Amino acid sequence: MNHRLLVLGGFFAVLATVPWLSTRTVLGQARSGSVKTGGAPATAYAVPRTPDGQPDLQGFWTNATYTPLERPKGVTKELYTREEVLELMKRAATEEAEQTVPGTVADVHYDFSQFGLDRSQGVMALNLRTSLIVDPPDGRLPPLSAEGQRRAAERAAARKSRGGPHDAVQNEPLGARCILMDRNGPPMLGGAYNNTYQIMQVPGYVMILAEMLHDVRIIPLDGRPHLPENVRQWTGSYRGHWEGQTLVVETRNLTDKFAFQGASEKMRLTERFTRVDAETIRYQFTVDDPATWTRPWSAEVPWRKDSGPIFEHACHEGNYGLYNTLAGARAEEKRAAEDAAKKKSRQ
Amino acid sequence: MRMRRVVAGLGAGVLLAAAPLTAHHAFSSEFDINKPFKFRGVLTKWEMINPHSWFHFDVKGDDGSVAEWMIEGGSPNSLIKQGVTKHTLAVGTEMLIEGYQAKDGTNKGVGRNLVLADGRRLFLGGESNLPEKKPDGK
Repeated sequence: MNHRLLVLGGFFAVLATVPWLSTRTVLGQARSGSVKTGGAPATAYAVPRTPDGQPDLQGFWTNATYTPLERPKGVTKELYTREEVLELMKRAATEEAEQTVPGTVADVHYDFSQFGLDRSQGVMALNLRTSLIVDPPDGRLPPLSAEGQRRAAERAAARKSRGGPHDAVQNEPLGARCILMDRNGPPMLGGAYNNTYQIMQVPGYVMILAEMLHDVRIIPLDGRPHLPENVRQWTGSYRGHWEGQTLVVETRNLTDKFAFQGASEKMRLTERFTRVDAETIRYQFTVDDPATWTRPWSAEVPWRKDSGPIFEHACHEGNYGLYNTLAGARAEEKRAAEDAAKKKSRQ
Repeated sequence: MRMRRVVAGLGAGVLLAAAPLTAHHAFSSEFDINKPFKFRGVLTKWEMINPHSWFHFDVKGDDGSVAEWMIEGGSPNSLIKQGVTKHTLAVGTEMLIEGYQAKDGTNKGVGRNLVLADGRRLFLGGESNLPEKKPDGK
């Protein structure tokens, strides 16, 4: 009981620090009569400027959230009420902090609050949206195009031909191999932990350091052309420019291995960063990939002011987990083979 | 034993189902659900390394022999953000360790719970519940 009280105490402390977003979002939407914020002009907030005149996005920010990318099935509205979302967040925090049932797969994990992984212990923006996806209006990924369906089947077949996920280190997910995680993207989406970012600006560049993997994007603003088509990178070729008070970053030249949400390497990504008040950046992105989806789709995530510093996350430093996972799979195979041999000898 | 509460109403169940905790790796691939353990150990080393911290313990068996165990914990960044540092927990501290053993049968495990001798669970609720207060008394 003591445990739960402490966790919920932390949860309410967080919310107490973010009254703006909740009230402002509700009021703003009520006034405009529209809940679509994609491409909407910035609020009346006068964004401070850097010495060279850029709108100032600098500082530490977090995109931690409990809001899913896609709207849950059975939820038909775009926004929860403030009361509903507070209740949902409270339940999510409680769920995350409580012990799982011994003997279940979910229980093979350490305790979230004990190891600082409970998101409610940190800063989190309040988001009334039922999904991060704002377009299509149903809050879900658009249908796959014919080419997208064909490629998904081809990829599934290729995966199958390589064997199981633990048959070779190359079959492990990119995150387990410390190559790329959803917090790096692009686009950058929150996860269970390490959701902090640091933005720094100098004349001609914006730099975004992601806590997860300690990965940095140095975004040029000087209008230079993109990398040649044949140069493909995990995080692509990205170029930025300002549209009023919004930083617009366009990314292409991704690799086929990345496949964000099943995308092709032809995916084009447009990210928009708008500081809507001293404590919040509105992060919006649009994915355009006709080779995968029948139409572009867009999402929106509030980034909340956080504190630094960000400590190094050298993901390979002690990645015993990768070894243990593969060793575990070999041990299971051995056990299965021994069981089969015993069964055969009894026949 | 506190059990996970059944969540109902308001669509909370589906909300959570749609937002799984994306950990660095699948714990169930690394550790064995059929090998739960619970024993006392003395902390010998604490590796504050990425992507997960690892705690090393000496565990005394019934016959008096001592086995070395490695227990996986949360990411250093997450711990540091909660005010936990490498100096928070002294080497030599005895605690109760509850978790699941590695599938390959070696002396490694995921530390589901680390409980101090006086019953407090490690790092619970952040700084206020740590075994040692910061030097400035806050």
